[in-house]
Amino acid sequence: MIQLSYLDYLAVEGKSWLHHLSPKLKIIGMALVLLGIVTLRSLSGLFLLYGILLTFFFISRIPLRIFSLTFYPLIFAVLFIFISGFQILFILLIFLKVLCGSTGVVLLLSTTPYPSIFRVLGRVLPSLFVTALFLTYRSIFILLNVLEETQHALYLRGGFQWRHPWRSLNNISNAFGHLIIKGIDASEKMYESMVLRGFKNKIHYRRE
Amino acid sequence: MSHIHLPDGVLPVWLWVSGFIIAILVGAIFFRFIKKEDLARRLPLLGMMAAAMVLGASVEIVPIAYHVNLTVISGILLGPSLIFLATFVVNVILGLFGHGGITVIGLNTLVLSIEGILGYFLFRLFWSVLRRLTPAIFLATFLALFCSTLSMIGVVSLGASHYEELIHQEGKGLFEFHFSKEKEDHHEGVAENKVNLKRFIAIVLPLGFIGWMIEGVITTLIARYIHRLRPDLLKLEG
Repeated sequence: MIQLSYLDYLAVEGKSWLHHLSPKLKIIGMALVLLGIVTLRSLSGLFLLYGILLTFFFISRIPLRIFSLTFYPLIFAVLFIFISGFQILFILLIFLKVLCGSTGVVLLLSTTPYPSIFRVLGRVLPSLFVTALFLTYRSIFILLNVLEETQHALYLRGGFQWRHPWRSLNNISNAFGHLIIKGIDASEKMYESMVLRGFKNKIHYRRE
Repeated sequence: MSHIHLPDGVLPVWLWVSGFIIAILVGAIFFRFIKKEDLARRLPLLGMMAAAMVLGASVEIVPIAYHVNLTVISGILLGPSLIFLATFVVNVILGLFGHGGITVIGLNTLVLSIEGILGYFLFRLFWSVLRRLTPAIFLATFLALFCSTLSMIGVVSLGASHYEELIHQEGKGLFEFHFSKEKEDHHEGVAENKVNLKRFIAIVLPLGFIGWMIEGVITTLIARYIHRLRPDLLKLEG
């Protein structure tokens, strides 16, 4: 499960110097990391970039349990081993690029609240797109609450068991179906309350 | 499986830049078909379905690196224009988690929206022919995922020459760091260092098949659940 709510909590409650740095600067920093990932083709260069990111990660006092998130994309990078014909240098290059990218974004997200990122993005991207991003972000938390309630019901119905695949698939599907229906109901209410607050295709952020 | 879980810096720049340009053009074309009031009214629904897709992506079946996409059911509920924006938003959020690179967001949007858009049209087609929900939704999901996986393989294949370049280079880039390895060794190994796309396809397609089946079954069961409780959402006439 994506630890989105915990990341959000860290971004809002964190007190390190990186938390206090302007979101604009951090996004520019992330863009530089991406530029490094795209242009660097040497293992040493990527090791250096990864080392810098790790240093930032640990001096920002981000909990270690968040660090495990940076390894998640490696699951998919494994497929690239087969493309390369098991070339160790190429595999290391790919893995380092993955780790630099994921460490960079996790660092950004755990030190910058999402709305601050959206506010910066709102200056360069169409407002409709940024509004959709914000509503999705808000909806994730609504659905996480529904999912939490649904998990208990799912558990009482047997949850997920490899020994009973059909029943498990049925349970998971019903949970997602329930999640979608609850989500749609919530979206209708959300729209009504947004209209009452004067929503016209754009969400305004504080200090805007 | 059907979208590209590639890190940044692996695909050639021309490919991912083209992905962004095509995605923006396709998005602009789709938005011409939506009324402004309709869009404002459906934005919260779009956000909710995109959030469901993000949560679906977090349920990982580890041995085959598969997660449910929920793109087809979202496509059916949102329609072809809105699902495009929804997949864009989903890819941005997933990209921010390192789940697929940030530079491949454009390409992923194109690949993933093929799933949603094709799923929507195939479902309408099969429904009008079969008039039975279960086979219509299963076939639509299975075929839509099959097509999007093929397009993902196509995108990965387009970068083949770039991967070879990456395999054969040593220490190029902004920083000229070198490993103490002799050049002769490199040339001897060139023949073996070829990019093996056939092997990649041979692994992706069988794993993908398992994924299409799982997603097909889950999407069918979800659609049946929705049909039982809120049949109006599926807009099935007749």
